[in-house]
Amino acid sequence: MPRRLRRSLQLAATTALVVTTATACNAAAKKDASDSASGGSGKSFTLVTPDAVGQNEFLKLAVSGIKDAAKQHDGSQKVYESTDTASQQQNVQAAVDAEPDVIVLVGFEFADIVAQQAEKNPEQQFLIVDACTTKTYKNVSCAVFREHEGVFLAGAEAGLLSKSGKVGAVDVLDTPQFRRYSDPFAAGAKKVAAKTETSTRFVGGQSPFDDSARAKEQANTLLSKGYDQIMAAAAAGNYGVFEAAKAKGAYAYGVDVNQCLSAPGTVVDNVIKRTDVAVEKGIEAVLTGKTGTTVSYGLKEGGISLTGLEDGVDSSKCVIAEHKDVLKQVEALRDQIVAGKLTVDDPAAS
Amino acid sequence: MFLDSDLLLSALRALTPILLAALGGAICERAGVFNIGLEGMMLMGCFTAVATSWFTGSAWLGVLAAALAAGAYSLILAVGAVTLRGDAVVLGVAMNLLAVGLTGFLLRTVFGVQGTFDDPSLAGLPLVGGFTPLTYLSWAAVAVAAVLLSRHVWGLRLRGVGEAPDAAATLGVSPVKYKYGAILTSGVLCGLAGAQLALGNVTLFTENMTAGRGWIAVVAVMLGRAAPVGVLLAALLFGLAEAAGFRLQGLGLPQQATDAAPYVVTLGALFLTTARRRRRIRPSGAAS
Repeated sequence: MPRRLRRSLQLAATTALVVTTATACNAAAKKDASDSASGGSGKSFTLVTPDAVGQNEFLKLAVSGIKDAAKQHDGSQKVYESTDTASQQQNVQAAVDAEPDVIVLVGFEFADIVAQQAEKNPEQQFLIVDACTTKTYKNVSCAVFREHEGVFLAGAEAGLLSKSGKVGAVDVLDTPQFRRYSDPFAAGAKKVAAKTETSTRFVGGQSPFDDSARAKEQANTLLSKGYDQIMAAAAAGNYGVFEAAKAKGAYAYGVDVNQCLSAPGTVVDNVIKRTDVAVEKGIEAVLTGKTGTTVSYGLKEGGISLTGLEDGVDSSKCVIAEHKDVLKQVEALRDQIVAGKLTVDDPAAS
Repeated sequence: MFLDSDLLLSALRALTPILLAALGGAICERAGVFNIGLEGMMLMGCFTAVATSWFTGSAWLGVLAAALAAGAYSLILAVGAVTLRGDAVVLGVAMNLLAVGLTGFLLRTVFGVQGTFDDPSLAGLPLVGGFTPLTYLSWAAVAVAAVLLSRHVWGLRLRGVGEAPDAAATLGVSPVKYKYGAILTSGVLCGLAGAQLALGNVTLFTENMTAGRGWIAVVAVMLGRAAPVGVLLAALLFGLAEAAGFRLQGLGLPQQATDAAPYVVTLGALFLTTARRRRRIRPSGAAS
């Protein structure tokens, strides 16, 4: 028995070792600092990303934001790409050690790390994009988005394009923060076609963010009831929603980046976050001394938009490019929201 | 209205991957190996199926590669638990963790993306009569496994090895050979389950896309008492409960409540089956 126990312990230890080495390969922090010429004013900015930038448009925009900021302030910039939790920590530490004027971090992953670092380094200025620390710190500024404004416009497109008069949404979880992607979609559709029927399904389950098969089945329950426009706000499940919509000849809407490329002819439009705008304006605010505040970016500030309302819509492979009349009406709605004549209810407002 | 054909179709689609994995688990259970690595083997199958289908353009080669890869992956359990006499539970948990890390790492190195690989030109399995051929294969596999386990000499020896390995050995039946066979079969079945999930249910790969289906298969093995038909009924119960849960959301029930549907059904089924079993046992217990 002891011999058997020792053997199984040995075995467990070796397998654990294999597991850790397999993940350690990922842990190699990729720090390809793309140094630009150090400028005259000496202002320096560092961007830390939660994932590899690669083809991630959300992060690519953040990189172009920090480059523009460096150009504007005649300064220099560095980008630290993380690949996992360990390298996120290492990269933030490396950024703090270099003491740039502003450290910019994108994503909720950094909220806790920044809270620790901000307390230890009160002189260092931080800017978090798309998230915020739970406590407020004098040296941490936050840039968050009013996604609901963009989702409302997507809903309006759906209301105008729906033939059955039924528009639905597949959302990740039933929480106020996620309802920002489904409730305003229904509101937008009802704004342009008052009789529209709306319904939302939540993916849920054991891993709601990864389960595309489950998201697809949720979309199927809507499609089988005649819903022909579906907002996909199911993280990785979005691809499942697109597959379901494509199979039934229905239409879907994506989030964060241009997802039309995943299913051309099925995805109508996307609610996109302009991280570049948030980074640029956020740095500007920090440099002018407005620190420790949270600024929200919506349609007015250009922080939230639709692929259809941006340049390059004709090459976006989005269905909306063929519906210029719909885009005109959506532009009018956007102008009303920007002018403050129309407010979109925020499900996450407390 | 509520119980329509869409509900049944949805339940049957959810059933296939769970059923294939659970059948593998049941065969292992009968051979005396408690296999909780189904989730990890299935995930390896998902990745291999998508990667092979993408590079060869053939979904069928994807299925074949998934079965082979998951079969090879199951050797970790076979060598660890049978040859080295390690703890199957520890090994199973390690295999599940390793599969998540390994497929995530491969996704990054092979495809250069993170999270999800998805492409409109990725070849999926064809549908025959609304289902993939693997769906029909899974039903056939239930019948084959049921007959083999109860009627064929292989099945009898396998069960003997599981129940009394020493007695089997004295009769000249090699427990090692049968346990290896059972584990490799479960690996192949889990690979097929993964291929069904990644090329049938959807046509893409997402990190951790099995999302607990392997664990549900483990529960189905226990609920169905490792009998192929029992496992089929248990897995079907899960599929129906899940599909019904989706419908209940449409009727206005909150997601948190409908999410619980499969688990409530499991508890109910466990309660019913054990109550009946106890009633059957009690009279003889009172007599002695």
